[in-house]
Amino acid sequence: MTTPSVVTKPYPSSPPALGPERPVAWPKRTVRILPNGMHVVLVEARTFPKISAQLFFRSGNAVVAHSAPGLAEITASVARTGTATRSLRLIEEDLRRMGADLSAYAGADASAIGISGVAEFSESLLELLADVARNASFPEEEFERERRQRLEGLRIQRTTPDFLANERLRRVLFGKHPYAVVAPKEAQVAAYRRSQLEEFYRQNYSPANALLILVGDFSTGPMLEQVEKIFSGWKAAAPAEQKWSAPPRHSGRHVHLVHLPGSVQTQIMLGNLAITRSDPDWYRIVLANSIYGGAFHSRLVMNIREQKGYTYSPRSAINALREFGFFTVHAAVRNEVTAATLTEIFYEMDRMRSLPVTGEELEGARSYLSGVFSLGVATQEGALSQLSTVYLDRLPDDYLETYRARIHALTADDVLAAARRHFDSANGQIVLVGDRAQIADQAALFGDVTEYDAQGARV
Amino acid sequence: MKKLHIPVEHTKLANGLRVVVSPDHSAPFVTVGVYYQIGFRLEPRGRSGFAHLFEHMMFQGSENAGKMEHIRLINASGGLLNGTTNYDVTNYFESVPSNALERMLWLEADRMRSLKVDDENLRNQRDVVKEEVRVNVMNQPYGGFPWLDLPPVAFRNWPNAHNFYGDFNDLDAATLDDVQAFFRTYYSPNNAVLLMLGDLDPAEAFIFAKRYFDDIPAHALPPHADVNESPQTEERRGEVEEKFGTLPALAIGYTVPPRTSKDWYAMAILDRVLHGGRAGRVHRQLVFEKKIAIGIDGGMDVFDVNGPTQMVTQIYHRPEFTSDATIGAYDQIIREVVEKEIGEDELAPVKVKFRADYYSMLEGGMGAHMPRFGLMHYLACFTLFDGDPDRINTVLDSFMAVTPAEVHAVAKKYLIPQNRAIVARRPVSAGEAR
Repeated sequence: MTTPSVVTKPYPSSPPALGPERPVAWPKRTVRILPNGMHVVLVEARTFPKISAQLFFRSGNAVVAHSAPGLAEITASVARTGTATRSLRLIEEDLRRMGADLSAYAGADASAIGISGVAEFSESLLELLADVARNASFPEEEFERERRQRLEGLRIQRTTPDFLANERLRRVLFGKHPYAVVAPKEAQVAAYRRSQLEEFYRQNYSPANALLILVGDFSTGPMLEQVEKIFSGWKAAAPAEQKWSAPPRHSGRHVHLVHLPGSVQTQIMLGNLAITRSDPDWYRIVLANSIYGGAFHSRLVMNIREQKGYTYSPRSAINALREFGFFTVHAAVRNEVTAATLTEIFYEMDRMRSLPVTGEELEGARSYLSGVFSLGVATQEGALSQLSTVYLDRLPDDYLETYRARIHALTADDVLAAARRHFDSANGQIVLVGDRAQIADQAALFGDVTEYDAQGARV
Repeated sequence: MKKLHIPVEHTKLANGLRVVVSPDHSAPFVTVGVYYQIGFRLEPRGRSGFAHLFEHMMFQGSENAGKMEHIRLINASGGLLNGTTNYDVTNYFESVPSNALERMLWLEADRMRSLKVDDENLRNQRDVVKEEVRVNVMNQPYGGFPWLDLPPVAFRNWPNAHNFYGDFNDLDAATLDDVQAFFRTYYSPNNAVLLMLGDLDPAEAFIFAKRYFDDIPAHALPPHADVNESPQTEERRGEVEEKFGTLPALAIGYTVPPRTSKDWYAMAILDRVLHGGRAGRVHRQLVFEKKIAIGIDGGMDVFDVNGPTQMVTQIYHRPEFTSDATIGAYDQIIREVVEKEIGEDELAPVKVKFRADYYSMLEGGMGAHMPRFGLMHYLACFTLFDGDPDRINTVLDSFMAVTPAEVHAVAKKYLIPQNRAIVARRPVSAGEAR
């Protein structure tokens, strides 16, 4: 291929128009509440011969944040290491035999056991899932091994800039509310007793507290029968609800500097409390965030990456936990442009609060959110993730079907109002993780500075 | 297990561009990719990191779509995009609602025919890339481990052995002329494959491909550089200081047999016996049973490498075990598979998992919002490296047919000290391992 072919006509200088938008077939859900209180959601997705399931319990690390931080997480990781009839090795070999992966973890609001594997083994996979959820034996040896792994993992996390930034910001934003705690201290892990894990498991891994979502290559009728057969004999009450104190209100900017000696970058993370998905402003703030820093083509990325070259992956996010949400801005920058980056972050925030976005930005962001939302149903993993948002957050049944229309209905005034309400530039809490000697003077330009070490102690 | 059949159609344009299409109407999206057969292995000497820097430049503007216009158009069409630089390919890809297919081809063809960038773009992206290296390597515990640490120890031939992310001096030395020369040399239709997957009509997709790509001129490609390694005669060792992390870590790499050789299939199955998650022998013995390791990772890149590569085990171990003691425990696992044939009772479930992982990769492979990334990736590699996209439907058969005797033979042949390299990461915080 050494002879160039001849160019016969000019290349079109503008992009072709979009064709007509094709309808999205939203996942068709079969929803049941079993007599024992367990919620079940089934969705057929038959393109690939596999199934994906998540069994959620509506209790996570928040319910133990004041008694034994991180207990929900270690309970999940030890629960998968043995049952009344299966050793750790047998569990892992059973999974492999069925081409499956199992995950067990806990976040702030929920604990979850997930399983995905080959569709023809779906009944055995569900039985294994139920075994881990109901009959975990918490072997002493595995508990001690997991405890040691957690301790070593924590030590490494406390050398990781984005972990340290997130840990500090959550402390600042949530104060005495349990969402303040993202990880335990080493001494708290050392103090866990095996009986505490068993107690957490007994109280919270119960059908009345459970939501099972199953997506995959199956027929709904027979699969529902299997689910009922496997789970309906399980009886236990739901745990009592807890009430927590409200997070603090902050007045004025404040800088929280976490000293990480030898750091060649500053990890910036700043933010403020915002709203949950059930707030009427939710769609507006999602759209405002997308224009501000939530997409590749957003103002923040254009400014501090594509114009100034300060950072590789700046972003902003709207984070929704069950009781509260919060808005965050992230950027890892070379030390000498720490103050310059903060200036631009606040400038772009203030611009969102001061002036309506342009028609082109509005239209582009609405199309972006609408399109990306529909991409989310093209894989089992994506569909499961969307469904878990709907059913864990108890959103309206038509959330998926109406999302795109709600986004398309928003105006520039909606974006401006949401930015004014939820991008709290004047009272933003600023966390900087980096080498104090490199950045302390820059930090002081943005408010009073409180310094911490990586363990969270004031210095 | 139910066998999956992926519909695949392909053609080649007059300029040498290969075009591969796979329809799937289960959701109204398309994933579009262009893969160029140039990765960091073959970047110019004295320009380490250049292939990756160049990948950034491909988002900086082409004749009809200026800086950020690619990104704006894809986002505003409702889609997501990315590009990655690998050993032997560099890819550019996007998932969008299916009504944006033609627009994506206009964008990809525009930047295949014309890269329009200036010094300011280059300076800007050089800064961005340096921050990328800082955030991923220099300012992270275990940054670059082991993908940047192992090749310089394991290999002697510069293409396989240099710093793929780039020395900052080399990044600084890169000029706009280098950028245009690299573009002219490697970013030619006859060195690429265009892939279109998802909710599309293949006949229409081929018409679009011809409409936008057909008149891009082909160029003579340089002869393929020699990436072979001279025979290794002894174990190779190296050490790297770990600035942040608190656990000592080891990376142990064995060079694997060449792609598509008979041994290669058996090696991939042996790799899953050893690694293959928590049921794998390495994780089971070192983490669960002997409790020497806190974490294990590793494996072999099977489908997407076309040159010397290794099966790598990463071991993060307790400081109270020395490196030597840890390697000793690892060597016992290796001895077991060298001395004793692994039975079909162990290979059969490993193969089920191999097939299940293959299907998972085809469905997704890069998060929920890049559907069929893995299908695109494998189709591209089968096209560029093996000249046969239809292997997507047949390649598994050869792995499933691997016998215990074949696995035993590759264990004896490849799991030898003269075929491996070891790099230790030593935390400065802990001093010598206790």
